[in-house]
Amino acid sequence: MLKSDNLVSNRQFFIARSFAWIMLLVLGLRYFQIQIVEHEIYRLKSNTNRIRKVNKNAPRGLILDRDGEILVDNYPVYVLTAIPGEMKDKGSQFKLIADYIESDSSIIHSSYKKYYRGRFIPTRLAKDMNFLQLGNLEENKLNLEGVYYDQIPERFFPNGVRAPHLFGYVKEIDRSIRKNLKNKDAYELGDLVGWSGLEKQYETFLMGQRGTSFYEVNASGREVGAAAELDNTRPIPGNNIRTTIDLQLQLFCENLMNDKRGVILVGDPLSGGVLAATSAPDYSPDFFTGLITESNWKNISTNPDKPLLNRYIQGTYIPGSIVKMITQAALLEQDNFDKNNKHHCPGFYQFGDRIFGCWFTDGHGDLNLVEAISVSCDVYFYKTVTQLNLKNLYDTFNQFGFGSKTNIDIPNEASGLVPDKGYMSKRYGKYGWSRGVLLNLAIGQGELLVTPIQILNYINLLSTKGRSPNSHFVFVDNLPQNVKPELSSEIWNNIHDGLRSAIVSRNGTGKKSDPKFNDFLVYGKTGTAENPHGENHAWFVGWADYNKEKYSIVILLENAGSGGAVAAPMAKKVFEKIIENSGFASR
Amino acid sequence: MINLKKLNISEAPWKIAFSASFLSFIGLVALSSISYQSPSIVQNPFYKQLFFLILAFSGFFITSLMPKYLIHKYAYVIYSLGIILVILPFFGVAHAGTYRWLNIGLPFNFQPSEFAKIFSVLALARYLSDNTINIQYFKSIIVPILIALIPALIVLNQPDLGTALVMVSVIFPMLYWSGARPFYLFLLVAPVFSILTAFNVIAFSIWALIIASVIFYANTKIIFGAGYFFGNIFFGLLSRPIWDTLNPYQQNRVLTFIYPEKDPLGAAYQIIQSKTAIGSGGLFGKGWGEGTQTHLKFLPVQESDFILSVIGEELGFIAIVVILITFGYLISSVIRNSFLSKDKFSSLSLIGLGSILLAHVFVNTAMTVGLIPVKGLPLPFISAGGTFLVTSYLMIGLIMRFSINYSD
Repeated sequence: MLKSDNLVSNRQFFIARSFAWIMLLVLGLRYFQIQIVEHEIYRLKSNTNRIRKVNKNAPRGLILDRDGEILVDNYPVYVLTAIPGEMKDKGSQFKLIADYIESDSSIIHSSYKKYYRGRFIPTRLAKDMNFLQLGNLEENKLNLEGVYYDQIPERFFPNGVRAPHLFGYVKEIDRSIRKNLKNKDAYELGDLVGWSGLEKQYETFLMGQRGTSFYEVNASGREVGAAAELDNTRPIPGNNIRTTIDLQLQLFCENLMNDKRGVILVGDPLSGGVLAATSAPDYSPDFFTGLITESNWKNISTNPDKPLLNRYIQGTYIPGSIVKMITQAALLEQDNFDKNNKHHCPGFYQFGDRIFGCWFTDGHGDLNLVEAISVSCDVYFYKTVTQLNLKNLYDTFNQFGFGSKTNIDIPNEASGLVPDKGYMSKRYGKYGWSRGVLLNLAIGQGELLVTPIQILNYINLLSTKGRSPNSHFVFVDNLPQNVKPELSSEIWNNIHDGLRSAIVSRNGTGKKSDPKFNDFLVYGKTGTAENPHGENHAWFVGWADYNKEKYSIVILLENAGSGGAVAAPMAKKVFEKIIENSGFASR
Repeated sequence: MINLKKLNISEAPWKIAFSASFLSFIGLVALSSISYQSPSIVQNPFYKQLFFLILAFSGFFITSLMPKYLIHKYAYVIYSLGIILVILPFFGVAHAGTYRWLNIGLPFNFQPSEFAKIFSVLALARYLSDNTINIQYFKSIIVPILIALIPALIVLNQPDLGTALVMVSVIFPMLYWSGARPFYLFLLVAPVFSILTAFNVIAFSIWALIIASVIFYANTKIIFGAGYFFGNIFFGLLSRPIWDTLNPYQQNRVLTFIYPEKDPLGAAYQIIQSKTAIGSGGLFGKGWGEGTQTHLKFLPVQESDFILSVIGEELGFIAIVVILITFGYLISSVIRNSFLSKDKFSSLSLIGLGSILLAHVFVNTAMTVGLIPVKGLPLPFISAGGTFLVTSYLMIGLIMRFSINYSD
């Protein structure tokens, strides 16, 4: 081949080729250095000195009450772990451990199977070790190759507040959970993630940042010190969240609801903060901490009283008379409606060929709107509601937030139901329903379904004449803004008059809720909701004006009878407690 | 039209293709060792690699049969397409904070920057093979530098320093091959070194001496030489005060970008574990499937970037030497074919493709033993990794095509 045939010179070819081979030679020499010359160093390092990376879980942020009292805390517990790949004989080692900690080797084995994630990943064998057990294990460390213990922070509840539905619980992340997490990179298997309630809603605040430590361990798996080459990072604890809950009031309400089924919500209408929230029956807040046995789970999940259900956001109830103020507002918005015009209540109302009864079968006689609210007359509303159509009423319900979620800051809220024409046609056929639906809706019966938290928002709006912010559990800067009713001050005043009259007038249905304390002005409405599944549900809703502050209250007692007789006296107890601790909403 | 008579298959350098397949076989051996505890077939690196190898071989046949004149004709079109491809990920979702991958609705993602590397080489080869330019002049190397720099800068922002460096690095051997004066190439790199050495007085002084002597030997005009020299000194002196104006967190970000080892949780830990794995392998290795370091899962990307740690630990220095010699044979064959090539476009394409392969081999192999900072570059033919494996075989296909001398 002639040299002139080529585009590049021999010299260029030689240099390029040498350059490539020299680069590879340098690499080869480096591998020679590490693999042959320094082999012994690395062999020792690999066989007798391994660097183990240990994650230190960050303690989750605390959950505080409005004054900074700790509601949900962390508590260090000791767990016993094993690195499967380092254990010599699992069966006999599990037996030994069982002896030392006075447990059963089958329990240890089942925990091992549940937590196993890989041959060299620490696997949990037992939890809640006490110092005696740890001491026993430490003494016999030589027989327990590959067995370690570790400290992990766990949730505990120092002040005796239960509120499991509010706080929620955390769950240990396993494979299937991690797959479905939104920001899965922030979590490793075995980390804790908020799974319900505030723990879930405020996960990003509470979670903190995991720390990592590096240890040198020798052949028998003992830590021989920190790994000098690598820096450890400390775990950064999660942020605390301050809730609007008042510890004392919350405890008081939880005690009131002991052995009962239902809800108490106490709120501050001026800020929207919830002061106390109970859903009864409940369960111990540490129920989900650690392993849940199958029988425990079966007991709680099949309990007919449904303790797992968070009644105040997920329970949907027929409201009964407590929503008559909606009808009142809708009526007052009609131009030709005269609120002072009296209607006669004979105790029943005939509509077509159907008879609609008033709850007071003797009849209320002649009454105007405020009096009708005061004694909760049904017939008054049957008669006047004919001036409305379904759309008017439906819109007013919507303005007060019914039929949609309140955006309360705990997850899985139900939206309830306000029937409109479309819904009724779908359910009963095009002509299967009639204006009788309107009569039912006017007194809060029929298809209407509400959640207690919607009722709290509704009461807050009534008490502040439509200015109350959304109900919420945690102090945050930007509350979601829901739709708010815009009514004239005349209408608001009429509503206030009716609700005040229900407490103070001679026949007022809410009389029993009044603690009769100076300057403590109670406004309220009782409800006795007919219920296809048994005894009536008793409601009391209302608020109190006290020293420029407002306290709203929602009480629901399932299948307990009449609102005036059972729910109102309970409201009185809560009001008395508020007077006793006076003035916390302002804090 | 392909003239089959002139396309002589027996002339094709089959040894290059066989070398690549042999390396892939070693890769499969290593992957099967670390695959045994994978939960499902889809996640199993061994089967994944087999699947991509089938794709890669088909790509290889397609590119090796592609007519040379078509490649030459559409080199700039393909290059522009490559630029669009590397911009596309920015409109998608970030993966681990980077915009390297395109989600194309398949169970795996596609990394367009891998293809862009080849396209840059082809565009450069086309430009430099043009007879109208005179490479002896400094100004005629400006355009090729821009050709290499544009996609590299986009990729740098993804951010992917390793791939960007590979894209830029092909420019030097290709310019050298097309006859550019080595002195000009030196002028190009010098400012970078001036900035880097400025942080150490001794290094900076030595560097200044080197610049001075190179300028002296190059026999340039005194004004140009002096101007260039003091320009570099000025650059160097300026870099320190500019650096000091940065916030500590900005400095840190730059440092971990260049030296990921500074992040002890990530790369430093990986390097220590990688070196321990390789070093403890010794001459013959611990045996297939017996690598304790590897199986402790200390290395997060052992199937791709750190596959050599697995091989070094389990199969030993012998296997490393075999791999390095195979790569050496492959790359020096490419250089030889480039040297023997009758047309300039083929010759330049070959040297460019060979440079990409060599850059990958060097960066990956040096990184696993801590010679250079960790860069996420996989090892050609051996590492698991969809797009890159396919690209590597596309390159082999092109190398085969360009190595066959025939006249159109």
